Amino acid sequence: MDSQYILGVFDEEEALISAFRKMKKQEIEIEDVFTPYPVHEILENHGRKSKITVVGWFYGFFATLGVLAFLIYTAVIDWPLNYGGKPSNAFPSFLVITIILTIFSITILSLFTFSWRANLWPSNEKPIYHKEATDDKFVILVNKELTNGGKASSVMKESGAIEVIEK
Amino acid sequence: MEEKIKLSRIYIIATLVMIVVGIVALIITFMGDPQRGWANLLLNNVYFVSLAVGALLFASIQRVTHSGWSAGFIRVPEAMAGFLPVAAILFLVMIFGAQSLYHWSHATAMEHDPLLAHKAAYLNLPFWIIRMVAYFALWILMFVIIRRLSLREDALGGLDLFKKLEHRAKVFIFIVIITFSFAMIDWVMSIDAHWYSTIFAIRNFVAAFHHAAIVITFIVLLMHRKGYFPFLNKSHLGDFSRYIFMLCIIWGYFWFTEFMLIWYANIPEETAYFLPRVRGEGWRFYFFANIIINWFLPFVLLMPKATARNHTVLKMVIPILIVGQFIDLYLQIFPGTVGEQVLGFQEIGTFVGFAGLFMLVTGWVLSRANLYPVNHPYLEECKNHHT
Repeated sequence: MDSQYILGVFDEEEALISAFRKMKKQEIEIEDVFTPYPVHEILENHGRKSKITVVGWFYGFFATLGVLAFLIYTAVIDWPLNYGGKPSNAFPSFLVITIILTIFSITILSLFTFSWRANLWPSNEKPIYHKEATDDKFVILVNKELTNGGKASSVMKESGAIEVIEK
Repeated sequence: MEEKIKLSRIYIIATLVMIVVGIVALIITFMGDPQRGWANLLLNNVYFVSLAVGALLFASIQRVTHSGWSAGFIRVPEAMAGFLPVAAILFLVMIFGAQSLYHWSHATAMEHDPLLAHKAAYLNLPFWIIRMVAYFALWILMFVIIRRLSLREDALGGLDLFKKLEHRAKVFIFIVIITFSFAMIDWVMSIDAHWYSTIFAIRNFVAAFHHAAIVITFIVLLMHRKGYFPFLNKSHLGDFSRYIFMLCIIWGYFWFTEFMLIWYANIPEETAYFLPRVRGEGWRFYFFANIIINWFLPFVLLMPKATARNHTVLKMVIPILIVGQFIDLYLQIFPGTVGEQVLGFQEIGTFVGFAGLFMLVTGWVLSRANLYPVNHPYLEECKNHHT
């Protein structure tokens, strides 16, 4: 099988960042970067921004409306019950359940959304590109189909990659 | 980085004018209605003591958590806590007003009221004064210790003082939570002596922390405009906003918990407190303004990253929140003391006077030492803070 990816493995953050900068300058498409800890420059400049916070906000917004509507429908409109002489629309007491269910909905729905977007379902085997990427090495992943592989590997080598692997 | 601020003449004159306005307003209030005067004095005393204690708590928490982001600003909360000795003097004046504020302080009222007589072991004037002196003695002692260690760290450097400060900060957090809770019960909750709420103290404690964080942010923003804190960036603003955002949620949570449980249980002894505030003419508006300003506004406006890190938005939200704390205390103190809803130049004038005094004292304490803690181990991290 032909190799599809080029992996640049780095020992130091500085080397990784210099390679990252050069590749951005030469417009070499980077598929992914694996780091042992968050590196600000890469988070900000790798060109992809997570929209999970926006999605989470909308989940929360609609969960709040939905839960309130459900409570008002069941306890006020469809089957009014008298609890301790309170009005059927005991609004402040609805809020407690609304808060709890909103947090629950945001958590669960965001988890599912994230798993779906990141292909992290239990049955889905996520490829491990480099075993030490989960350890203490920095890895840049380049897809050969999208960009010039030779150029990418030479840039990574001259920036101080300890090894460049084709996979 | 060694830099001391110098109070400009305009600043000093402006604060002095504010103090004069406050004194005039207080004198007019006392000539018209002494009860209203004492209520005003109590409100503003509690307001600014809250700020000072909350600021010292803020500084202590930064020490305990080894926060890097706030290291450069640590002098601001320390200076705000410098108001405590002045507040102690102003609070001692309150001893003469206790009789017109607290109806438990009258011996005759206690005799004819078996419910109050039951509380006489705690609610009596001598013990009330002893407790007040004890609170202030402890707070001022903690302020002096923390301030002195912090200044010595400036001169000497090294990690020993830093560790010592961390230890003192832990002790202070422990002490202040207990003392401030009791102080709020003594000064504010005992106005309605028949009523009690176990969540009252923690709600006011969080309010103090909430508004101290707000005022710290405000001072830092205003000083940044004058050219101090050149390293202040969007990440610092984001962290300040997170403090306000987080505390507004906790405050709203406790506010709601107190109200909802009393509303739901519907026990006459407990609802008697909320009935005039929710249904009463005049109070109703402030009751809803309280939760909207102090919780809803920062919750909505400071949630998105874009607005939380924006100078203009923060400068717009913070003055509203400063008024919000006033409304919160106004609603706790005035119905039980003055009775009818009054809000005129007397209240505003007194508040302006106290604000002027607070600004003068804070500015003076701030100008006494280096603006930046030059030997703070995390100062470099603060300057390069990035989230």
